[in-house]
Amino acid sequence: MSRDDLINQLRAIVGEKYLLLEKEDVIVYEQDGSILQAMPEIVVLPGNAGEVAEVVKAAKRAGAPIVPRGSGTGLAGGAVPAEGGIVLSLARLNRILEIDLKNRLAVVEPGVINLDVSKAIAQDGFFYAPDPSSQAACSIGGNVANNSGGPHTLAYGVTTNHVLGVEVVLDDGRVVWLGGRVADSPGYDLCGVFVGSEGTMGIVTKAAVRLMRTRESVRTLLAVFDRTEAATKTVVDVTAAGIIPAALEMMDRLTISAVAQAVPGVYPRDAEAVLLVEVEGLTETTERAIRLVQTICERSGAREVRIAANQAERQLLWKGRKEAFGAMGLLAPNYYVQDGVVPRSRLPEIMKQVAEIGERYRLRIANVFHAGDGNLHPNILFDMRAPGELDRVIEAGAAILKACVDAGGSITGEHGIGLEKKAYIGLLFNEYDLEAMARVRRVFDPEGRFNPAKLFPTPVSCGEVRRQPQTIPAGLWI
Amino acid sequence: MKLSGEALRARLEQELGAESVEFRPLFLEAYAVDGKSPGLLCLPAGPEEVASVLRLCAENQASVIPWGGGTSMSLGNIPRAAGVVVGLEKLAQLIEHDDANLTATAQAGMQVAAFQELLGQRRQFFPVDPPLAQLATLGGIVAANVNGPRRMQYGGVRDLTIGMKVALATGEQIKSGGKVVKNVAGYDLCKLFVGSLGTLGIITEVTLRMAPLPDSAASVVAAGPLDRCARFVEQLSDGPLLPAAVTILSAGGNAQTPAVATWVEGFEEAVARQLRDLAALADEAGLASEALRQEPHRRLWEEVEDFGANGEGVLFRIAVPIGAMGEILATIDRWSGEAATPARYVAHAGTGTVWLLAGNDPSSLGWFPRLIALAQGHKGHVVVAAAPPELKAGIDVWGPAPASLGLMREIKRRFDPQEILNPGRFLGGL
Ligand SMILES: Cc1cc2nc3c(=O)[nH]c(=O)nc-3n(C[C@H](O)[C@H](O)[C@H](O)COP(=O)(O)OP(=O)(O)OC[C@H]3O[C@@H](n4cnc5c(N)ncnc54)[C@H](O)[C@@H]3O)c2cc1C
Repeated sequence: MSRDDLINQLRAIVGEKYLLLEKEDVIVYEQDGSILQAMPEIVVLPGNAGEVAEVVKAAKRAGAPIVPRGSGTGLAGGAVPAEGGIVLSLARLNRILEIDLKNRLAVVEPGVINLDVSKAIAQDGFFYAPDPSSQAACSIGGNVANNSGGPHTLAYGVTTNHVLGVEVVLDDGRVVWLGGRVADSPGYDLCGVFVGSEGTMGIVTKAAVRLMRTRESVRTLLAVFDRTEAATKTVVDVTAAGIIPAALEMMDRLTISAVAQAVPGVYPRDAEAVLLVEVEGLTETTERAIRLVQTICERSGAREVRIAANQAERQLLWKGRKEAFGAMGLLAPNYYVQDGVVPRSRLPEIMKQVAEIGERYRLRIANVFHAGDGNLHPNILFDMRAPGELDRVIEAGAAILKACVDAGGSITGEHGIGLEKKAYIGLLFNEYDLEAMARVRRVFDPEGRFNPAKLFPTPVSCGEVRRQPQTIPAGLWI
Repeated sequence: MKLSGEALRARLEQELGAESVEFRPLFLEAYAVDGKSPGLLCLPAGPEEVASVLRLCAENQASVIPWGGGTSMSLGNIPRAAGVVVGLEKLAQLIEHDDANLTATAQAGMQVAAFQELLGQRRQFFPVDPPLAQLATLGGIVAANVNGPRRMQYGGVRDLTIGMKVALATGEQIKSGGKVVKNVAGYDLCKLFVGSLGTLGIITEVTLRMAPLPDSAASVVAAGPLDRCARFVEQLSDGPLLPAAVTILSAGGNAQTPAVATWVEGFEEAVARQLRDLAALADEAGLASEALRQEPHRRLWEEVEDFGANGEGVLFRIAVPIGAMGEILATIDRWSGEAATPARYVAHAGTGTVWLLAGNDPSSLGWFPRLIALAQGHKGHVVVAAAPPELKAGIDVWGPAPASLGLMREIKRRFDPQEILNPGRFLGGL
């Protein structure tokens, strides 16, 4: 089928308005939250699952790749059309179809914004637990594809723990449900395998997600340290003491200095590190847990421990954390965020290594991350205009990932492999491990047309991927 | 060329040592699956040997039945063949307990109770409560997706399994996941193997999430008519309390009336508060309640966990949305009242799983289509979790096939092209 035929068919399916071909229209879709870019040829915005299925069928007839796209906040280039083809935006499938509080579940379309699910049920005392820092913008479909996490996934689990079932469009346009509305659907857990497959198995057109009841009590504490090691050691000690906070976040000196400019008065400017710890549950539990955390912090040498006395103080402590990513811009023109993860017991040593890597590559690294999960987010600061600097940044990033793997960890805790890290997946998996994954891929997508050149370590065969600074919309934090 | 049974045995003996290959029928009877005795029992000493056995069996198209503790062997359809049982009892090492990371890695043949004991030395435990924990192995409960009452608080096996090593039917050894609690590198193949009942590969090692041993634990048993029990559960789930398990127990056995058992654990002051609030809730619902600690608490839950696990009847597992529990149980009670011998159940109200035990006679199968219709009315499903082989013949114990069966078939074909692993035991004859 010729390109013109394909375009005519797509136009017939979605209508003129929702088919984008001109450079000024498609350029919006050339990048996600990563530094990678490729100009799309065709962008379609179907309005319902039936249209998605028709688009997929047309693409199959034309042999064209399909790149699903949610809100484009992904940090691994997952939604970047590296091999050309059709960018399929799910943004118009944005309805919450059902909220069933009695059964603690909601059925939503993939374009629904993460935060809107929690907003829709907050007044009834419920929430949707996975809360990526990008939750004001990212879509449930993107969350499912990337198996996204967030600050509060420490206690409640990541996306895969909260998705009961998904409706997906397969490569031939068939629409099937994987999983269901209750646990333990008989047969292989295809829903579990699909979550985290980064758009390489099919298109999510509906998701049934679990809802949780808001906890009766929340306590939040800020601990200030003069030594990074004392802070990381505290994280290890809290976990070892059997306390599982709802969130346990860490920021280092560079990050704190940026935050201190952006949100003055929250964190002491001269601190080496701060920990933000939150516990949730019954009042009796949180009272005791927050005191225990306080004791552990003090024992490890925290110079100050501040427990939020009320909601306003709590929000202020979080405000510093939430502004951290935006404040990076005060430190350097550009930054590159990594997502390595280590066993929590190895945090102190990995943080030392990250600092050493920064020195070795003569780069400043600002850390702000989900410490309780062992999930690092080193932000490597640089200036795009300085010749050769980006290459050094990429090398330093790779060195950090290698160090994480050597410590028994992984190269990505929540952002995914996408385009960005596919060259490093071999650090974790050998050819047999990858072949097992490829077998599953072939079951779902025998022709390899869903999001080609992602996740697997195959080279990009055509098309051109460029690197550009990250452009993060306001209101998001990492 | 395919070897004869004799020759295959000789090759396996060569590979594993003669003492690790059993062929005497008398010894093999204990490893019968649905009445089918295997031709051989192999006891590989490590993952390499598991892979070798699989490779040899694949080359010779001999069927393979992986065997952990044997506690879930009545789950599944009758196998088409039971050639070689691969027992995992020699893969029983704890590899690492990283307590500061709240994870542990162990070989698949390790028994759950033994595992718990080692973890307990550092005040942690693996928060799954399988039936017959003395016998059940880690690999077995992962492969069979066995969960217990406290899933409500801690999540299920699929949530707690973060890494594994698997020997594939084709002889390769692979790994998936790792020992970090957050990990999105590559496909999450752990999910594929959890609950796959040994039909895609043999799990040789698992990495699991641990939980700290609670300071204190206790239960409240509130007894009375079912509608009041259901109201109690509803009130409880609408309120702030965070129990570890909430289980409705039918009347029958020693119990005159149904009852709700609620397990609470954590800091003592939180336990004490929950006991108080639960007693008040029971009062409001018109139920007579009693708090249990120590031995009585422990015994109660052991009984719940082992419910139906000793082959005493036909056992159904019904999964329904939690909000439908009261209605489902009321219907079951009505049907049970009309039956010649009443059925009994334990129903985990926090997760929507009902275990229903009917007598060991053909009439019990009459429950199956009715339960399927009942569950499907709520978009749930039913599995026959255990039954004597003569009752299983001719039915699919997994219930009606889902629309995704075609994809599952393709998965099976690509992982086990010769269908040597547990042939026919999984749904749709996979
Ligand atoms: C400031 C900032 C903070 C962030 N914080 C976090 C965080 O705390 N935790 C975290 O996990 N991530 C975080 N992220 C990363 C990102 O927000 C998540 O990966 C998110 O889930 C992506 O959603 P999206 O809708 O933007 O997806 P996109 O970026 O559009 O796409 C992501 C991937 O999903 C695929 N995809 C999208 N929709 C579908 C669908 N319907 N069916 C199949 N495949 C689909 C795409 O092809 C792509 O591979 C952050 C990003 C930013 C910019």
